[in-house]
Amino acid sequence: MKPHTLLALFTIPLGLIIAAVPSNKTNPYKLSASELLGEANARTQYITPDVVADMIVNKDPSLQLIDVRSQDEYEKFSLPGAINIPLADLLSDKYSDIINQDVKMNVFYSNGTLTANEAWMITRQLGYTNNYVLEGGLNYWFDAILNPEKPASTSSDEEFARYDFRMSAGQALGGGTIIQTTQDQSSKSALPVIKATPRKKKASGGC
Amino acid sequence: MGPLVVNGIISENTNLFLAFIIGIGFGFVLENSGFSSSRKLAGIFYGYDAVVLKVFFTAAITAMLGLLFFSLFGWVDLDLIYVNPTYLTSAIVGGIIMGAGFIIGGYCPGTSFCGASIGKIDGIVFVVGLFLGVFIFGIGYDLWDGMYMARFLGSPKISASLGLTDGFFALLLILVALAMFWVAELAEKKFPREEY
Repeated sequence: MKPHTLLALFTIPLGLIIAAVPSNKTNPYKLSASELLGEANARTQYITPDVVADMIVNKDPSLQLIDVRSQDEYEKFSLPGAINIPLADLLSDKYSDIINQDVKMNVFYSNGTLTANEAWMITRQLGYTNNYVLEGGLNYWFDAILNPEKPASTSSDEEFARYDFRMSAGQALGGGTIIQTTQDQSSKSALPVIKATPRKKKASGGC
Repeated sequence: MGPLVVNGIISENTNLFLAFIIGIGFGFVLENSGFSSSRKLAGIFYGYDAVVLKVFFTAAITAMLGLLFFSLFGWVDLDLIYVNPTYLTSAIVGGIIMGAGFIIGGYCPGTSFCGASIGKIDGIVFVVGLFLGVFIFGIGYDLWDGMYMARFLGSPKISASLGLTDGFFALLLILVALAMFWVAELAEKKFPREEY
């Protein structure tokens, strides 16, 4: 057999296979450092409290609030429907189904934004999508949603509309008085139970 | 798993050692397929010998298929592989200089060392010229700095700019390579040259 024929017999079928199969998307690292920096600079991870409040009030099923503070802090106060994944346990197997999915919109929150951003950065570096950070954290949430400041009379209509929305959202979410014990309990009873289903290990080959 | 160095599976020094072993293998294959003869290399320009085209294209499609299949099996992360960034002006100017040197000297940098290592005088002269060129480039760097860094394109992939998947582009490249081999053999028959 001529070397050409031999080469063609080897390479053409291999080429057909590689052209037919989809490329492997299971790489462990999805973002380079500069891409991550670009995303962080563009602040694409932030969701404003108004959007989150609107989704909570409307009981939007696609919202998944994730409290990345410690369990103690979570039990004292948490946003309605939020689940608790302390940052230290973020990579634990039982939560991987929650943070690595493409159905719900995960919104990390902490008191400020630091811890939530850390959680976002880790999940983003793992290539997970649909993870966001509550802009301003809980501190800003209290100011903006639960105790909104009445805009000056010279403010634009938009600001008044936002104020009205925040007032009504704040009332719906038990605002005004920040942490009422009754409110706390009702929010606690509404907490969904996290079913920890161990994620199946992918047969990824190699290491 | 791969790239081994990036993922910390082997150290930088082990990497250099492996490169040394692979380099010896590469040199052996070059010498073995006659690449230490400047006539053989110049033959691709005059059409009487297409072995350069065949060896390098076979190497390219082998490496390409290897990388794509390794990526498919999850053995290597293609995003972490270093791709030489493209500076379009330098690529064109450098390509012309290298091509001219290839025809005039009958060597490319790697094969000139092959020739020099088995004592070919033209190979040794070529290596000396190579170092002279490197020296002149370094001394006069300020003169061509602007041109050298001009029209930076990052690390573009032909498949991405054509909107094709890597796999489909690989198949096209294999077909093109085989077609080129066939044309090259026709040329070899048309411009025969014996005794070199």
